[in-house]
Amino acid sequence: MISKDDIEHLKDLARTEFGEHETRVLAKDLNSILEYVATLQQADVSNVPEMTYALKDVKNITRPDEDICEEGISKSITDAFPQKERDYLKVKAVL
Amino acid sequence: MTIVEFHNALKNKTISARAATSLYLDAAKKENKKLNAYLELFEEDAMGRAKEIDNRIASGEEPGILWGVPFAIKDNILISGKIASAASRILKNYVASYDAGVIKKLKAAGAIFLGRTNMDEFAMGSSTENSAYGPTRNPHNNEYVPGGSSGGSAVAVAANLAMAALGSDTGGSIRQPAAFCGAVGLKPTYGAVSRSGLIAMASSLDQIGPLAQSVEDAEIIFNIIKGNDQLDSTSVDSDIFSLKTAPQPVRVIGVPKEYFSEGLDSRINNTIKSVIKKLEKHYTIREISLPNTKHALPCYYIIVPAEVSSNMARFDGIRYGERADADNIFDVYKRSRGEGIGLEVRRRILLGTYVLSHGYYDAYYARAQKVRHLIKEDFKKAFDPKTGVDVILGPTSPTLPFKIGEKSEDPLAMYLSDIYTIPVNLAGIPALSVPYGTVLEDGTNFPIGVQLMAPHFEEKQLFDVGKQIEVL
Repeated sequence: MISKDDIEHLKDLARTEFGEHETRVLAKDLNSILEYVATLQQADVSNVPEMTYALKDVKNITRPDEDICEEGISKSITDAFPQKERDYLKVKAVL
Repeated sequence: MTIVEFHNALKNKTISARAATSLYLDAAKKENKKLNAYLELFEEDAMGRAKEIDNRIASGEEPGILWGVPFAIKDNILISGKIASAASRILKNYVASYDAGVIKKLKAAGAIFLGRTNMDEFAMGSSTENSAYGPTRNPHNNEYVPGGSSGGSAVAVAANLAMAALGSDTGGSIRQPAAFCGAVGLKPTYGAVSRSGLIAMASSLDQIGPLAQSVEDAEIIFNIIKGNDQLDSTSVDSDIFSLKTAPQPVRVIGVPKEYFSEGLDSRINNTIKSVIKKLEKHYTIREISLPNTKHALPCYYIIVPAEVSSNMARFDGIRYGERADADNIFDVYKRSRGEGIGLEVRRRILLGTYVLSHGYYDAYYARAQKVRHLIKEDFKKAFDPKTGVDVILGPTSPTLPFKIGEKSEDPLAMYLSDIYTIPVNLAGIPALSVPYGTVLEDGTNFPIGVQLMAPHFEEKQLFDVGKQIEVL
């Protein structure tokens, strides 16, 4: 069971908000989903490895550290800033 | 008009790219108020590109197979210079700064983009009701859902508002709406198609694929969009397919008994059984067992929220998207996400945060990853080259389309819509939904989807059997 306090803590961890009504619905939904996924406890997973990738024979791939950006891309990125001054991204003080 | 029919008409100069594009744009403009399949039409761009295509043909160039083909694109696939909102408020004004890998390939192949299609927000949902821009409606009966999350793309194809479309499939989001609307939908092998420029939901499961009017069309699109892309390190080289240009013909089709258990609509059951009966003339049919099928859905609903909680962290109102005002940075994050992201997405973010938190990791996530291994092993055993089957066949969805609003208050009931499609994503294998027959409900003939599954990179096998089903 996820308690009310757990939910408040999770909201902070996940950096998100829920309204009062949403929180009530959420508590009910989360508990019924967790109850459902708990059926996995019946699966026999002794000696089974965790699956960490979908295909076999995959290896880490890197590419040369070269600038492959198309021209003009920096402008479209700065254009997307919600708040800016000149080309600086504006945010609230972090500290 | 299918891609193949259009291509022949274009070659014979009995139709122009402009005529075809404006035909679809007009239909989309007329029908969209009712169906809400498109979030935006790119009328000017589409007509401009169609004109280019016509000019190239007029100058004597031989048209390629996708020249002038009008596509609908799901709103989570980036097209440079166009809004890509993933049907979320937080990205309502986000303009893509680059083309997705699949868009680059389609552009190079001469395709035309009619517009971006509605979806469940960030692809989380099975009905296209979780869109910040209103639900999409089933073209066969407007009171019913089209399935999801690629509902807009499925409706665009099924209602003739596009010749073909792209969607994305994390747990059935291409195949289930294809089944609900009567289109062909392909979820390619994990790694077969680049995910660069796809707004990520659950990265170990996401795949882009086509929705089309015929199996042949889906195959044509797949052959264009597949292959390695430097910008997606999970994408594999096309060589892996060319090594299989002469695969063994499909001989044995497996029918998993777990896909015909409790919860399957009896009318869908009868339809699928009649398909199997007819296929007996062409193939050996064998009953098989995928014993861990029952664990797939709970496994998925641990792994997906876990990956979602991580992937959604980037939507914080800082670098792009909508930002809410607050006194300090912490509250800017909380309020931007609280106001900009819909309930189902926030629910999954919270659930993911919980299952990954200290003390719960082993009980939930680690166990789910082990169960995922068991599910993959089920398929591996079923497809054993010596003793197994070539292709597996079953229903795509356990139910017919449901009414708008019917399941929106009950997330678990909604999740069950994907019970037959999810195991495929967990195992990373390819699967195809092909429409076959209809069932009468509420005065409407709703289409049924037959799902075919094959081993990794054996898409060709799916197309072969799919074409057979189309002519049964």
